Order: sequence, then C-alpha cells, then structure tokens
Amino acid sequence: MRILVFILAMMFLPSLAAAQETGGVPSPSITKGKGEQCVADTDYMRRYHMKELSHQRDETMHEGVRTKQFSLKECIACHATTDDSGQPVPINAPGEFCASCHEYTAVKVDCFQCHATKPEQKKQAQASALFPMTALAEPEVSQ
Amino acid sequence: MTALFTILFYAATAILAVGLAFKVVQYARTPAPLKIPTTPAPVTTGGVVLRMAREVILFESLFKSNKWIWLFGYMFHGALLLAMMRHLRYFTHPVWEWVALVQPFGMYAGFAMLAGLGALWFRRIFVQRIRYISGPSDHLMLILLLGITGSGLAMTYVARTDIVALKQFMLGLIRFDWQPMPSDPILMAHLGMVIALMIIFPFSKLLHAPGLFFSPTRNQVDNAREKRHLAPWAAKLEAGGE
Ligand code: HEC
Ligand code: HEC
Ligand code: HEC
Repeated sequence: MRILVFILAMMFLPSLAAAQETGGVPSPSITKGKGEQCVADTDYMRRYHMKELSHQRDETMHEGVRTKQFSLKECIACHATTDDSGQPVPINAPGEFCASCHEYTAVKVDCFQCHATKPEQKKQAQASALFPMTALAEPEVSQ
Repeated sequence: MTALFTILFYAATAILAVGLAFKVVQYARTPAPLKIPTTPAPVTTGGVVLRMAREVILFESLFKSNKWIWLFGYMFHGALLLAMMRHLRYFTHPVWEWVALVQPFGMYAGFAMLAGLGALWFRRIFVQRIRYISGPSDHLMLILLLGITGSGLAMTYVARTDIVALKQFMLGLIRFDWQPMPSDPILMAHLGMVIALMIIFPFSKLLHAPGLFFSPTRNQVDNAREKRHLAPWAAKLEAGGE
C-alpha cells in the first residue's frame, strides 16, 4: 500500500509543481489564422479537423478528387506565422499552430514528414532566390 | 453545467479518497486470528511479495480457478490500465513522453474493454450457475462500466468533443482555477458516469482492488512451524489481560 501511495505521489508531484510555476491554466498558444474565419465553423474545426483531413486525403489519393476546403496546403497558407525577419515558421515547429495544440493533447502527427510545413509561394520564391537547390533538396511534396 | 460538474467532481474525489482510506484502515485493523495461507504457500516474506505480485500482475488465483473468467477479466483490466494511462494526458501538463507513446494503444484498449465487459456480462446472464448468484449490483456495475467505455469510444469515433477545452477544464479543477466544460452531451454522460463510479467505488465490490492486499490466504507466510502465529489481541488474552 505504501509503495502504491509513493508511486501515485511520484506521478502527480511533477504536475503539481508545474502548477505553481505557471499560475493559471496552461493552454496551447493558438494564433488566429488569416482572414475572418476558418474553412468551417471554429467549434467544428476544433473537434473534427482530423476527420476532415483524412477524408480529404482519401478522396484525393484514392479518387483523384481535389477540393480546396479541407486541403492541407490551405490550412498552412492561413495558419502559418512569420518570424521577426518575415520568414515563415514551420507549422509543426514547437508552439506553432498545429504543434502547440498537439503537444498539449499528446497527439503525434506524421503528416509533415512529407507535407510542406510552410506556405508555398513564399518559400519557393525566397529559397530559389538565395539557394536555388534547396527547393529541390527538401523531400517535401508541396501539397 | 460547468458549476454542477465542478462541484460533483470535488465531492466524488473526496468521497473516493476518504472512503478508500477508511476502508483500507478498516481492512488493516481486521484481526487475522488464524494462520490460513492457501498452500502451497511461500515460506518467506520475499516469497509472499512475489506471490502478491503474481496475483496483481497475472491474476494467478483466477487463472487457476477459471480460464474463461481469467481471459475476459484480464482483458478488461489490462485495457482499463491502458485507457487510464491514456487519460493522463488530460491531467498533466506538459504531458509525459510515455503517456504520449501509449496514446495509440489506449485507443484500441477501448474495444478490448468493451469485449471483456461484454463477455463477463454475457456470462452473468446466460450461465445458469452464475446467474443464480448475480445480484442487481453485479449487473449494474457492469452496465456502468460498459456505459463509460461506450461513451468514451463514441467520443473517439462518432461525436467528438473539444479536447483542448476539456483539458483546460480538468487542469482548472486540479489547480482551483475553474474553466468552462465543453457541453457535448456524450461528454457529460461520460463524466457523469465516471463520477458515479468514483462515488460507488468505496461501497462496492470494486474494493477488491485494495482488498486483495489484505487477504490472509494470500498475504501470510507459511511459517507456523517456525514461528507461532499469535494475533495481538490473542496475545493479550493469553497474558491474562482484559
Ligand atoms: C481562409 C483561411 C483559413 C484556412 C484555409 C484554414 N483556416 Fe483554420 N482558422 C482560420 C481562422 C481565421 C481561425 C480563427 C477563427 C475564430 O477565431 O473563430 C481558424 C481556426 C481554426 C481552428 C480552431 C482554433 C481555435 O481557436 O481553437 C482550427 C483547429 C483550425 N483553424 C484548423 C484548420 C485546418 C486543419 C485547416 C485546413 C483544413 C484550416 N484551419 C484552414 C483561418 C483558416
Ligand atoms: C485547437 C487545437 C488543435 C489545433 C490548432 C490543431 N489540432 Fe490537430 N488535433 C487536435 C486534437 C485534440 C487531436 C486529437 C484528438 C484525439 O486524440 O482524438 C488532433 C488530431 C489531429 C490529427 C489526427 C492525428 C491522429 O493520429 O489521430 C491530424 C492529422 C491533425 N490533428 C492535423 C492538424 C493540422 C494539420 C493542424 C494545423 C493546420 C492541426 N491539426 C491543428 C487539436 C488541434
Ligand atoms: C508518405 C508521405 C505522406 C505522409 C506521411 C502524409 N501524406 Fe498526405 N499526401 C501525400 C502525397 C504524395 C499526396 C498527394 C499530393 C497530390 O497529388 O496532390 C498527399 C495528399 C494529401 C491530401 C490531399 C491534398 C490536399 O492537400 O488537399 C491531404 C488532405 C493529406 N495528404 C493529408 C495528410 C495528413 C493529414 C497526413 C498526416 C496524418 C498526411 N497527409 C501524411 C504524402 C503523404
């Protein structure tokens, strides 16, 4: 029994300690996307964006149907941020739109092993102007 | 709704903690007048620790007595453990790496729980011998657990909830900094049943969890030949006291 109490205590102490540091409830840092609203109702997006994304992917990959509403490329076009020098920040970098929420809820997505993490045109324009090869060197599909 | 659930959660946690503590103390104080380990039993304390570990980890006695109940019971308890580990993501910040790693397994655990519970309930209904000794509480307990599992799975596969807001609500409870709860009906049902389970726990057969550790037939060393077993109250009698 004592061992059990000890284990439980060890499990919960770190989170209690964290509570004192931050004060208030920690939350993901959700930056507002570009434009007035998302591609669907915000409440809906919070709950169902993963369903819509995999649905979209299946439609595209298996049936060749390409629509814009739930395209991953579009998400990034609206939700990526730029750093101080105006460079786009990868959407899956710690604290960025997709990542901050997923870290908060222990979700791991593997999408960005293939998919670009920065908005398309900007990246290619800058990359090809400075380092013509990098645009090709990165193993990303720009969808 | 948020206020109601906030209050209920605190009340349920208090009842669970105090009730359990009370029961554990009661179990610990209950005299074990006789030396009754089920033989073959370990003859050293280390052996008893091992035996207990086998009980807790493998459900050894249950395995020896009934393979079917063991199979489904083990399936349910193993899945329950995984599901609980997965739920730690709602209570901890930042989420520990190992909790993130069990997430995918925890998701499938829901189905294993459903199957295990379903089979155990099937047995209570259709096996005549078991049906005869099943009281309403046996059925209701299984229904409650099935309800919790089912509503949990429904939130993953049918009607999702706002997980970020839910975690904020939970962290708010822990940190006494209350946050609104997402008002999805399935979530309310899920949490409502969990609260019911927490309240029922210290008054029900679910006490087999702590109770196992206090079973004389399992926690005694078979050393009556080396050392005379004398309960403290019996020793007092013998010394002519009282
Ligand atoms: C036209 C630009 C645009 C596109 C395209 C877009 N979003 Fe949004 N998104 C927004 C805006 C603006 C908001 C904030 C709305 C609000 O505050 O109510 C938002 C909100 C969200 C939210 C809720 C964040 C919160 O506050 O909790 C999620 C999740 C989300 N978007 C995911 C996505 C995904 C996934 C895609 C791709 C399928 C996508 N968005 C595409 C503009 C966009
Ligand atoms: C408001 C918080 C939030 C934001 C912002 C957000 N997500 Fe999510 N996402 C979640 C949650 C919560 C889950 C998982 C829910 C669960 O565990 O069932 C999830 C799951 C996913 C999944 C499914 C993962 C799996 O293995 O099941 C994908 C894919 C995904 N998100 C993509 C994105 C992308 C792409 C973006 C950025 C455009 C994004 N999300 C932004 C909260 C968010
Ligand atoms: C192995 C590499 C790879 C991984 C990993 C991957 N994708 Fe894709 N995805 C592709 C390719 C290739 C296409 C097809 C691009 C095209 O032809 O338009 C695609 C297409 C898509 C499309 C349709 C195109 C669009 O944007 O509308 C969506 C949506 C999509 N993927 C979402 C996801 C999500 C969400 C994840 C993570 C859960 C993911 N993908 C992981 C390679 C990948």
